Amino acid sequence: MELRAMEPQPADDLCLVQETLAGHQASFQLLVERYQSRMFALARHYTKNPVEIEDLVQEAFLKAFTRLDTFQHQSSFYTWLYRIATNTILDWMKRRGRSPVTSVEDPEVLPEPSKVKVAAPDAQMERAEIAKITHAVLEHLPDIFRQVLVMREFEEMAYQDIADVLGISIGTVESRLFRARAKFKEKLLQLHPEFGQDE
Amino acid sequence: MNTCQDARPMIPSYLDGELSEAQAAPLRKHLLECQPCRATAQDQKNLARWFQVAKTAEAPLPVPRDFAARVARRAFQGDRGALGTELAPAPARTGAESRHLRLVLTLTAAAAAVVLIVSMAIRQMTLPNGQDLRADDKKEAVVPLPEAIQELDRLNARERDAAGKLEEQKGAAQIGAPAERRP
Ligand SMILES: [Zn+2]
Repeated sequence: MELRAMEPQPADDLCLVQETLAGHQASFQLLVERYQSRMFALARHYTKNPVEIEDLVQEAFLKAFTRLDTFQHQSSFYTWLYRIATNTILDWMKRRGRSPVTSVEDPEVLPEPSKVKVAAPDAQMERAEIAKITHAVLEHLPDIFRQVLVMREFEEMAYQDIADVLGISIGTVESRLFRARAKFKEKLLQLHPEFGQDE
Repeated sequence: MNTCQDARPMIPSYLDGELSEAQAAPLRKHLLECQPCRATAQDQKNLARWFQVAKTAEAPLPVPRDFAARVARRAFQGDRGALGTELAPAPARTGAESRHLRLVLTLTAAAAAVVLIVSMAIRQMTLPNGQDLRADDKKEAVVPLPEAIQELDRLNARERDAAGKLEEQKGAAQIGAPAERRP
């Protein structure tokens, strides 16, 4: 991966945006090159299918292009692009019809904390093995839970940013995240009881 | 903050770095004094550790070599994307509104088909065949992309493992007891 992709320079991004708006295809290509790896990494959290991953990332960039004139330099280009990409993915998930939004959520009532505690992954375990288990558990969760976990745990987004992207309140982010973690833990212990710790 | 009832709901936000110092200070004090709440916090930290490790273990996905060029070309050709939300199944509508919508959808679909056909034709004219992993041509998916990705993942993992040995020795003390990301 090129260094420029790892350490994007915001001022430079703005230049490329302006050049793109002035009709320079090569400048837009540079913008895509700069962020494509991170966009692929993002999309892969939602689907394992390489064709779908590529379609989603392409879609996100095309959407970004059509809205480029609305990009204000208040946020970084990556943040702006990230929101478009996340919304593209969420739309796609909705259309795919795997989001039981209403059935699993009751923001008012939080479940009692479980008596069984979860262990941190064993220091002896291979990282790849831990990653495999984590992703396998994530795949068992309803889409709305997977979304918040990806945004919080992998993308390390602030609650406010998650709320903005999903169009929900911070309180709903909190409760959804709480449920998502509880579900993740439940599923992890169900698939791998050996990681449970009795209090 | 004196009761566990007050403290418990704030633990996740605290560990996520979402509390102000004014909110965090009394909670921290409670955690020092209360073993059960400490156990709850530790439970969440242990859970977070799964994601942290999984995150660092992710090998970057190989992006097709001509991806950016292709996307930029499409963008400048006026392609707004084939997955457009205009084609999403809308909630049930009635009467004239529904008929009108169906017409719009039909026209949109027809337009999309034309764009697709034209863009495929253009691509066939301008792209060399076979060399690249082009995942957008679903019908002619001849490259076993998953295998290629797995192979790359393996190579990357090996590279990272070699590079990570040193770092792991330095950070060994932190692996058993997960550190707070944003204290
Ligand atoms: Zn307590």
